[in-house]
Amino acid sequence: MSARTKRIEGAAADASVELGPLRLAHPLINASGTLDLFEAAQALGPGFLEDPPVACYVPKTVTLLPRRGNEPPRILETAAGMLNAIGLPNDGVEAFVAQELPRLLGLPRPLLLNVGGFSAEDYVVMAEILRAALDRHAGGGAKGWRSRVGLEMNISCPNVHSGCLSIGTSPEETTAAVAGVRRVWPGFLVAKLTPNVTDIVPVARAAEAAGADALSLVNTFKGMALDRATLLPYLGNVTGGLSGPAVKPLALRFVYEVYEAVSVPLIGMGGVSVVQDVLDFMACGARVVAVGAAGFADPWLPAKLADGLRTELASRGWTVGDLVGRAHK
Amino acid sequence: MTRPRGEIMARERMGGYWRIRIRVPGWRSGVAGQFAMLQPARPGVFLTRALSLHEQRGEDVSFLVAPIGEGTQDLCRCRGGEVVWVLGPLGRGFPLDEAFQSGGRVVVVAGGVGIAPFPPVLEGLLGLGLGSSVPDAGAAADQIARERPDLLCLLGFRDAAQAEAASVLDRGVVSLQAAGWRTRVELATEDAGAGHAGLVTDLVAEMLMPGDRLLVCGPERMCRAVWALCHRRPQVRAWFSLETKMACGFGSCHGCVVPLADGGLVPVCRRGPVFAGEEVFGPAAGGGDAP
Repeated sequence: MSARTKRIEGAAADASVELGPLRLAHPLINASGTLDLFEAAQALGPGFLEDPPVACYVPKTVTLLPRRGNEPPRILETAAGMLNAIGLPNDGVEAFVAQELPRLLGLPRPLLLNVGGFSAEDYVVMAEILRAALDRHAGGGAKGWRSRVGLEMNISCPNVHSGCLSIGTSPEETTAAVAGVRRVWPGFLVAKLTPNVTDIVPVARAAEAAGADALSLVNTFKGMALDRATLLPYLGNVTGGLSGPAVKPLALRFVYEVYEAVSVPLIGMGGVSVVQDVLDFMACGARVVAVGAAGFADPWLPAKLADGLRTELASRGWTVGDLVGRAHK
Repeated sequence: MTRPRGEIMARERMGGYWRIRIRVPGWRSGVAGQFAMLQPARPGVFLTRALSLHEQRGEDVSFLVAPIGEGTQDLCRCRGGEVVWVLGPLGRGFPLDEAFQSGGRVVVVAGGVGIAPFPPVLEGLLGLGLGSSVPDAGAAADQIARERPDLLCLLGFRDAAQAEAASVLDRGVVSLQAAGWRTRVELATEDAGAGHAGLVTDLVAEMLMPGDRLLVCGPERMCRAVWALCHRRPQVRAWFSLETKMACGFGSCHGCVVPLADGGLVPVCRRGPVFAGEEVFGPAAGGGDAP
């Protein structure tokens, strides 16, 4: 795998990368469900829309039908991280197309729309709906939406009681879902994998063989915590997904293993919070790195890490291509 | 744009709590009931903590912190000169205009560190200027009460040591009195160390009057008990500042949701933290006139 990069003299290195047809000014994006640019802009200032701190924006997961999400409590800080059991609340894909998509297309960044389903058919239907909407909104030609919009399949959410996670733990179900979407989705296609498996490689290979153009890894690690006083499960959903620095070494291992097993680009994530994390994920094989839970405390973090990455590249005299996969050499 | 930071200017014990004053360059003043997300810059807890705006003077903003969990203990350990990340002001505060225009009494009900958002409430009431319109001395007493609303502060604490924090309202009360307000502050402590021996809700039950406008912040059980008492008097309205765990404070994480009376789940950070009682606790107070 080679990230297309240019070597530039001077203080700030070029850190731009390509994800298929999507051109990213740098490798830092957000993990789905951890940054709402529109809410952030209202609460913190219009800069989140005018100059978003991510090179590509990943909205939160959309499902075929509206979902209320899980009952509270939904989050808890744990040692070096947090548990969440949000449960994919959203208004459903029809409302997404009507209300969210137009304003998303107005953002000055490429998009990775994120869908979650409870069967292979769910994903296919949503991909068809989104494709039709994009053709209407933005034109479907070679210079139309395909250079600006990709699709990420969340086949790995641990916080819903059927679908998502069970699909992502089975190579066969992953094949069915990804191949189904591949038949109807002409744009860039990403499968987001779960770490809650004994061996991620068969799932990664299945997704690649079924037509995924890239893989995101990893979603959160299924865990739980108890209420200190009552010693009953703290989260309304009983179990949740663990994220934050606590999971970084675990996530890094998945990226390292999958890099050796597939040839499509990888989007690495899991506990990214400092520049060293970005270097580590990229060295293990990630071309793009997503900030998740650390962005809750600092929503500007992806842009800050991109600056730090450029400085690191410049000081080492490396291109992005020199860095990606370096740990395997 | 980068993450806003501040420097600890002062830290003092205030009853059972710590009052922390932070200078935040470029701070935009918020309204009573809004909050900020705080986190010491030195390594520590992973998530920021939501705290009510307690005092604002230019770029100096203060918070009243109860050192209860790791995050709040971390903050209370911060010394002068230390750097703290401060994101805010966030959320929707108390609707002071609405609470006030009715002409009813304003009743502050605070439980423990729930007193934190009320100094800005008193300042906000003063800013409305309504207390300065001194009514005709010859008018009937009930008319005076209607046109020049009293401020009643009912403050509950666990013990006398915590109750020292009641002094955070002193300045606001004095200012309101100087502007012609009739004010009354009553304490309740569970250990009988100061004021009424018992719960602040005992005071609410005793003193609540028809037409009162309640501004409430405290433990959830207290809030629910206060709302239940509101049912016993006609034309009472109440607003509650709710507390939930938040990961972000600005609408991204969907972690801080509370159930509304209509069955919906809404994020406290963006729809609140202040909610009308009927929104969160169900049908309105006695008298049946609340919307």
